[in-house]
Order: sequence, then structure tokens, then C-alpha cells
Amino acid sequence: MLFQTTEQHEAFRTQIREFAEAEVKPIAFMLDKNNEFPEEAVKKLAKMGMMGLPYPKKYGGAGKDVLTYAIAVEELARVDGGTGVILSAHVSLGSYPIFAFGTEEQKQKYLVPLVKGEKIGAFGLTEPNAGSDAGGTETTAELQGDHYILNGGKIFITNGGVADTYVVFAVTTPNIGTRGISAFIVEKGWEGFEFGDHYDKMGIRSSATAELIFNDVKVPKANLLGKEGQGFKIAMATLDGGRIGIASQALGIAQGAFENAVEYAKEREQFGMPIAHQQINSFKIADMATKIRAARFLVYSSAELKEAHEPYGMESAMAKQYASDICLEVVNDALQIYGGNGYLKGMEVERAYRDAKICTIYEGTNEIQRVVIASHILGKPPKQQTGKLKAKGPITGARKKKIFTEGSAKDQVNALVEALKADGFDFTVGIDPQTPIIEADRVVSAGKGIGDKGNMKLIEALAHQAGAAIGSSRPVAETLKYVPLNRYVGMSGQKFNGNLYIACGISGAGQHLKGIKGATTIVAINKNKNAPIFKNADYGIVGDVMEILPLLTKALDNGEEKKPAPPMQKMRKATPKKEAPPWKSYVCSGCGYEYDPAQGDPDADVSPGTMFDALPEEWICPDCGEEKDNFIEG
Amino acid sequence: MYCVRKVTDDLYWVGANDRRLTLFENIHPIPRGVSYNSYLLLDEKTVLFDTVDWSAGRQFLENIEHVLNGRKLDYLLINHMEPDHGASIEEVLLRYPEAQVISTEKAFMLMHQFNFNVDGRTIQVAEGDTFSFGKHEVTFVSAPMVHWPEAMVTYDLTNGVLFAADAFGSFGSLDGRLFNDEVNFDRDWIDDARRYYTNIVGKYGPHVQALLKKASTVDIKMICPLHGPVWRNDFAYFIDKYDKWSRYEPEEKGVLIAYASMYGNTESAVNALATKLAERGMTNIAMYDVSKTHVSQLISETFRLSHLVLASVTYNLGIYPPMHNFLMDMKALHVQNRIVAVMESGSWAPKSGSLMTEFLDEELKTMTVLNEQVSVLSSMNESSALEMDQMVEGILESMND
Repeated sequence: MLFQTTEQHEAFRTQIREFAEAEVKPIAFMLDKNNEFPEEAVKKLAKMGMMGLPYPKKYGGAGKDVLTYAIAVEELARVDGGTGVILSAHVSLGSYPIFAFGTEEQKQKYLVPLVKGEKIGAFGLTEPNAGSDAGGTETTAELQGDHYILNGGKIFITNGGVADTYVVFAVTTPNIGTRGISAFIVEKGWEGFEFGDHYDKMGIRSSATAELIFNDVKVPKANLLGKEGQGFKIAMATLDGGRIGIASQALGIAQGAFENAVEYAKEREQFGMPIAHQQINSFKIADMATKIRAARFLVYSSAELKEAHEPYGMESAMAKQYASDICLEVVNDALQIYGGNGYLKGMEVERAYRDAKICTIYEGTNEIQRVVIASHILGKPPKQQTGKLKAKGPITGARKKKIFTEGSAKDQVNALVEALKADGFDFTVGIDPQTPIIEADRVVSAGKGIGDKGNMKLIEALAHQAGAAIGSSRPVAETLKYVPLNRYVGMSGQKFNGNLYIACGISGAGQHLKGIKGATTIVAINKNKNAPIFKNADYGIVGDVMEILPLLTKALDNGEEKKPAPPMQKMRKATPKKEAPPWKSYVCSGCGYEYDPAQGDPDADVSPGTMFDALPEEWICPDCGEEKDNFIEG
Repeated sequence: MYCVRKVTDDLYWVGANDRRLTLFENIHPIPRGVSYNSYLLLDEKTVLFDTVDWSAGRQFLENIEHVLNGRKLDYLLINHMEPDHGASIEEVLLRYPEAQVISTEKAFMLMHQFNFNVDGRTIQVAEGDTFSFGKHEVTFVSAPMVHWPEAMVTYDLTNGVLFAADAFGSFGSLDGRLFNDEVNFDRDWIDDARRYYTNIVGKYGPHVQALLKKASTVDIKMICPLHGPVWRNDFAYFIDKYDKWSRYEPEEKGVLIAYASMYGNTESAVNALATKLAERGMTNIAMYDVSKTHVSQLISETFRLSHLVLASVTYNLGIYPPMHNFLMDMKALHVQNRIVAVMESGSWAPKSGSLMTEFLDEELKTMTVLNEQVSVLSSMNESSALEMDQMVEGILESMND
């Protein structure tokens, strides 16, 4: 055994390297600078059969082994980290779950065009509150007849926007953690499926990364991948393989930076000789090479294990973790060898330096990789007292969540004004719109949804009629600069503790919501009905700010000058009625013991979150031994 | 000397009243006593429906002997094995050696556990079985966890009499009257009936709902419970109460104020609160000192009313023990769907409010704790009065929903 790649592998490497050098390298700087997706190059990759390398020929794939695929990612990343991940996300994340868990019909419909490269795939798992911990997933899919209705959103999605086929994870049974998650195949272009801004990233800028937004997206039942509740399992199995792709990407970035550094070190002369031969640098180069070789063995070995259907979850985690950790070290040393020249834009090591960092973060942070590795060695940690499973409430605390939907926009606005007046708000008084946020009784705040700067006059007019000061979300102050920095509301900005907060075109990022926890009443106006702000508001209107704000301004206008507001007095905050938990409980007819899914049955190793239906048939009442059949719904 | 009453054709009440017992189940006070009802059917065969507590055994045996009038007892039908009904089984079997016992599998198991010798004399029945005594044919309906697992009710298909076991029972001795229309139930009995249901059966709402559902499918002419009056009309009145109690829905909009006060300062504060409520028109108020009121009464009132004010002094940095006991009883009996206002008091580290709130949120089901809370430092002052005004607002507003 020589631990070497085969001749075929190396022949393939030559082929893909020629392509990378000819088609990607020359444009890599431009792609990076313009945040641009290499559309033409990806089309050519498809023609070469690269988009379906490790998949069987019967689905249109190249029928190559996993190692060949790893080499492809490595070689693309060697010249451009972003292009490497386009292939990795397409093959490992977008296509693999359909290949491994799809029905034959799903494979024919979705896998074949992906594998042929006619379509591009992506994978949607991450959410604002579900990063390493998928149990926090908030996107929901509710079965209604023949369709699931998908609502929510995903963030940081590689190939987001350019991909045609998305494997999306959503909660089908709420409040039971990861067991309630299911996987769906979602097509670009379906009604209600939109994309947020293309992120302005530090590195891998040629790969498209976007937010996915789902508003009542109708997903046919036939597009459920696997069974309901299998989503987490599918996601984890997919990520096991995905790590090989990221590890290959890190390996490629390191390899590219290393080669550049060696070349430069041989050319650059100081003190009368190439700096490569100065011991400080020669040792550096030796260390870089050693690290890369070790990483390569880890990566190739896990690819071979996968190909041979041997267990590879731990090995791929080691490969991903190690390759990306040393990648950061290698690009750092490479840039150091370049000195000041490496610090300039347009230098490949400068780009590699930025591209490298994402590899320790995405598809499972390296911290999570260590969790995976440790769990393979040590097994599950001893059960901790997990306590009761609790339905998570909104960030701003319990709110009324009354959304006005009856009648026209004007009717909705009038109903809102009535409700506010009934709560005791007096709109005949006003304050200086520049009152500091922390001293203001009321604030009208603008979010990115406000659009052009000119629309801020709508906010100003509404603030005047509502007797409020003007505030904003963070991007409106920081990026758009519509208001001074000291007027943005949020955890990191000004905290609002007054009585009335009107959020206009604010979707409700966590840090913003944390800053308005103390508000007595929160009003939300947003065109996205799934914006988190609505779950955190007392009153809401789903509509365009351009339409709603003028109506609301008019409805609050009594035609008279505002009288000066009396000193602020904190108003009473109504208590919303406590809601019953969303799951059913079951009661034993032998003793009255109540099975509570929030607690499970620790003595029988039933973890919190297990629904009664999911209890094994042989499960018996922990108190009296009655059979499962003799329970009635509580 | 016997004391019996005819219930309807062929059927006689042969039970007994107990005015000596202080605590029912050795826990719940029964100042009005209690009746142990047993019924004797004279058909081609003779059938005794359940027995009585051992303390009433002598009276009971005289009653049976009188009604049988020399006939032998053919069957002893046991709907419920709890000793206030089952304790005299052994004596009946000794006196009537030919009697066979009709009951459920679980009831027979319990008879063995209580060391009653029924071997060779058992007829085991289950839900849906029928049994004929001549003219009268009965069917059996299982009623698990109302409020014991072995319980069943027996329905006479011939005359529509339902032998309801502990369902539809009440504290209170009968004192000669037997039927619901011979007493003013809504005036004199409902409080005891509620206190009986809520404390004895209250925890088992889902099982009571299941039984009510089954009962709604048959034409009931008479309900013969094991305690309290026999119902022969106005069923809707009592079934409605049972429906509300077992769904944990309040009967009335009103405020139960339960307070714990050591020296009268907290009491004074809740007096002020009650006054403010009444001034604002909310006059359905029931106010109790938890130190002097038996918890069974507090539980009963909690089931009756929509709102609850819990006012407690802080004691050893905790909730005052009788108040804590009340909370634990609410948890045990699955009290839910109530709106609660919390008032705390204390002189150096008042924290009973946050502790009660935590208990209500974490330990009880679906209890809404109002945001408005009152904190009294030693004695009410202007600031706590202001908080109290807000609390009144909160209570009244939540009544409108």
C-alpha cells in the first residue's frame, strides 16, 4: 500500500487543473471584486460532466468515485475558493440528499438534471436561531391537503439565488426539537419563494450566498424527502459527506497559497539570495508542506472510506477540521512570505487569506467537528438533566399578536388606530422627533423596507402625527445612513422602553427585538407576513409601507397642532392569555398518570419531545404498568 | 331498625347517613355529613348495587334484611371498590352465602388485595356486556379513573336507571330526603357537590369527559350515585356543572381572593383590593384566609370562579406554607385555565410574588399570570396602592376577553 492516488486520479487532476487554470484563474480576481458568480465556467463544468461526478451513470452522472470528486473541488479551490464551494454545495449538499433519500420519481425529476448540470442545487438548513443546533429551526411546513405550506426563511445559503433546486428543512411537528423536522425539495420560481440580498462576504465572493424567504410556498406532498420527521437525520447524513467537500476546498486553498508562496520565495531576493533559502522561510515552507500532506491524507482517506461504504463520519469530520485549521495557518504563512506585496488586492494570496476563513465556519464549525469526533470516540455524553421542553416565546415577551386583516388597507389602519386609542394612547399630543430614543414615549422606526431615502418623509410625517420620535433599524443608520447612528434601536444601539413602538418595514432581527423588549405596545407594518416582527408585536398590518404609512398618518391626524406631551408615564401592558402547549397529552386509565411530551419518560429512555404516538408499542405506564392502548387523550 | 326508601318500581335505597365522620378520606371536612348509597333491586333475582362504609354496616345489614323480606340475595354488583362503598362486601357475602359477585377484572383484583374471599363466586363483566335479572336487563360501562381504575357504571336498560358509582355524588347526609327535587340543590347542595367533585375527582377531567360522552348516548331516566341525592330530573343542570368542571372551565366570572397574612397587613391590602373591585362593579368576590380555610374549599372555589388573586406574605424566604399547600393542591388536581393576579408582601426580602408566579408558570397548566403585580413592603402605601389600581385594571380587562 503506497497511499497514492491512481493514474486515473492523476489524469483527472490534470484535466480539471487545466480547466481551472484556463477558465477560472484569469477571472478569479474580477469575480472576487464584483461579488460575481462564474456562470460561464459552471456551464462548462457541466459540459465536462463535473456537476455529477460521484453519481451513477444511470442518473446521468460520471460514475466516478468520491476521491475524484474531492480532487475536483480541491483543484478548483486551488485557483478560487469560491468556485470550489459552488461545486461542493451542488454535489454534496444539493444533490446528495435526493440521491440518498429520494424516491425514484424524485430522482428522475430532480437528481438527473442536477447531476447533468442542467440545474444547480443548494441546501437550506441554517436559520437565525438554528445554526449548529438544528433543533432551533423555525421554518414551518404545514400539511394542507395535497400540499405543505412552507413559511419562514433560511440564511447564508450557498448557491442561494442561482440554484434551481433546494433541499429545505422545515418543522412539521412543532416544539419537539429535531424530531419534528422534515426535508423538502423546493423549486426556484414557486410562488412565495424569494431571495434576500446576496451577502457581501469577506471571502469566497464568487460563490453566491443568499437568504431564502418562504411565504406560503405550496410544496406538493410528493416533494417531501424521506418521511416526516426524518429531516434531521437527512441533514446530518448529508453533512457527513459535505465535510469531504469543504475539506477538499480548504486543501485546495492551502495548496494554491503554498505554491504561490514557494514560487514567490524563490524569486524574491533579499540579503543576496532568494528568501526561500533563508532558514526562517525554508522551515516555514517545510511546515506548510507537511501540514498540507497530512491534510491531504485525511481528506483522501475519508473520500475512499465513503466510496467503500465504510463508516466515515468521524474521519470526514477530522478531515474538515484539520484541513481548514491548517489552511488558515498556511495562507497566513504564505501571505507573510509575500510581505507587503501579499497585502495588496489582486494578489492571489490575499484572496486565499480571506477565502480560507469560511472553511473553519461553515458546514459545521470546527467546534462542532470536534463534537462529532469526540462523540465517535466517547459515545453520547451522559444524560444531563435536560428539564422540560418548553415552547420558545417571542424575544419581546408575550405579545397580543393581533394582525388586522379585515377589509381594505384603510379599514385595517382604522382598526389599528381604534385599538391604540382604546389602550389609552392620546394622539393629540406630540414630542420633538429628535427626542433621544431612551427618553421618548413613542418611536416610529424605519427598517430597510422603507426603500429609497426619499421615503423617510413618510416616516417623519407619521412620527409627527403619532407624537413620536424617529428611530430606525441598524442597517438604516449604519449602511444606508438615513438617520444618525445614535437613532438606531436595538441591543447594540438605543434601547426603547417607552409606550409605543411603530416598526415600519423592519423584519425584526434578534438584536433589534431585544432592544424593544421594554416597549408597552409594539406595532408592526411589513409586507412579509412571516417577518419575525409580527410574532413580537401587539398589533400588525401586513402591507407595503408606501401604502400603509400615509393612511396611518392621515388616520392619526386630527387637523390640529399637537399639544406638548405630558411627562412620560409608563402605561400598563396587557397580559396575553397563556396558550396551551401545542402538543396533546395522554392520560393513563389505570392510574391517571399523564404522559407529557415535554418531559418524556426518562426512566424508559424516552427523551423530552417524544410525542405519545411515537412511543414504542411496548411502552407501558411508568406509574402503574398499564399498556399504551389504555391511555386516553387529555 | 331499618331505614329504607323506595327509589322506583323494584328498586330500594338501602344506604346510610354518616354525620359522625369529621374528615372524608381522612382529609376533607364534612360538616354536613355524607351518605353512603346502596340500592337493592327486587326482580326475579335480587341484586344489591354496591355496599357501604364499615361504620354504617349495622344499619345497612338491617336495611337489606328488611327489603329482602326473607328472600335470598342472588347477586352483589360492585361498581366501585373504594372502602366507603366496598368495606361491607365481606359481611354481605358471609350473610348471603348464595350471592354471586358481579364486577370488573380490576375490582376483583382489588377485592383480593383487601383480603375479601370471593373465590368461586365471581362473575366478571366488561364494557358492553349485558346481564338480565328477570324483568331488568343491565349493561355495563367502564368508567376508569372516575376516580379509581376499576370503576364502572351500570345502566338498567329496562327503566333507564344509571348506577353512577362516584359520579354525580355529593357530600351531605340525606336526612330523609332522597331525590334532587326534594331539596334545594342549587341553594343548599351545590357547594358540597362541587367540593366533593373537585377534590375527589377533579384531577381526572379527561376521564370524566369520556364518561359524559358515553352517557350522552343513552336515555337516562334516573341517576343513582353512591353519595348524595338521587337525580330524577333536571339532569342538564348537573351535567353542565360536570362538563365545566371536567374541562376546567369556570362556572362564573368572579374573583377568588385567597390571602395569607400573619399580622393583618396583607389582609388589609386585599380588603382594599376587594373594595376597588367592587367599586368598579366586580362584586362576585369570594375571599378566604388560607390559614383558616380548608384547602378543599379553596380548590372548590377555584373551580367555580374565573379569576384568582393569590396574596401571600414571604415566609422564610418562601411562600407562606398554607399558600404553598394550596398551590400544590392546585397542581395535584390539574387546575388550569385560570387568570391569576399575584400580590406579595414582606418586610425585608419580599419574594413570594416571584415564587408564586414561577410556580404557576412552571408547575401548573395554562395559568395566565397578570403582568400587574402588587408588592407590599410591610404595609400598603401609595406606591402599592398605585400598583393595586393597575391590578384591578388588569383583572377587569381580562374579564372582557
